Amino acid sequence: MRTFQRALAIMFAGVALGLGANVVSPRRIPLLTPPPEPPKAQDTVALKEAEELWKSGTGFFFDARSASDYAAGHIAGAISLPVEEFDDHFPQIAPMLTPDAPIVAYCDNLDCDLSHRLTVKLRELGYHNVRYLVNGWTTWHTAGLLTHTGAQP
Amino acid sequence: MKWVHLILRFVLGGIFLASAVIKIWDVQVSHFHVTQFSHVPDLATFAQDVTNYHVPPRELANLVAITLPWIELLAGGLLVCGIWKQASALVITALMVVFLAAIGWALAHGYNIRCGCFGTVDARKVGVTALMEDGVLLAMAIWLVCCPKDKPQQAPETNP
Repeated sequence: MRTFQRALAIMFAGVALGLGANVVSPRRIPLLTPPPEPPKAQDTVALKEAEELWKSGTGFFFDARSASDYAAGHIAGAISLPVEEFDDHFPQIAPMLTPDAPIVAYCDNLDCDLSHRLTVKLRELGYHNVRYLVNGWTTWHTAGLLTHTGAQP
Repeated sequence: MKWVHLILRFVLGGIFLASAVIKIWDVQVSHFHVTQFSHVPDLATFAQDVTNYHVPPRELANLVAITLPWIELLAGGLLVCGIWKQASALVITALMVVFLAAIGWALAHGYNIRCGCFGTVDARKVGVTALMEDGVLLAMAIWLVCCPKDKPQQAPETNP
């Protein structure tokens, strides 16, 4: 019984220390994760415009989901760039891009944050013409637009 | 047996201590981990790693990221120092069960996410290796909980 009480004490002390450290840390974060920001109009691209970009062949489509989701189905011609593996993959992709290159990032589901995060990362690197297609994969394939399956070559 | 106990305490406690110090240093103090395409990791990055598991409710990911390294620090530190050994091993057991469940969950759902096992400096992805490592650590922690070196002494019988 005493062991349980001590274990609980360790947990509580750890929580207290963590909360205290977060208060004094210059890099503190809010205790509760703020909800994702609703998409801003200037950050998103409408399906029609994305489709035109895709047809013109001038835009780059980046799939922000995992490689397995990409392999299961993706926008035809899209490049797999999972946000989690950005640092690993982007150096190979960067030579293809100019700072003005029109880029469409996408993931899936309305609450998917990956494409937004990819957009933010790319903007931070100076690619200002990047936007994301909200609920991208579902929107694209339910509109009957061309998709492919299989891993990225 | 005494030596096994001592070695397990130092290894397990040391790993937890190191993991905690790295996490705390990395997200609260360090400014050195800047690569060409990434930015200084911070607590929000670690919170994002926690969020990616989709295990705790999204709103609580920050709270987990804020408190978890300090619980690890205390439990690991106490185990190494030999204070409240069984209790700190119990805390580590509980944490390992949660970590294993989280990694198993991520693997079952095919999430190709960063483990976050050693904070944001650890770029390893969740995988079978992480699962096995954590399994070994759990076994060590359970041993320390179930086989305490210092058995509680029985109260001496009082003679009438």
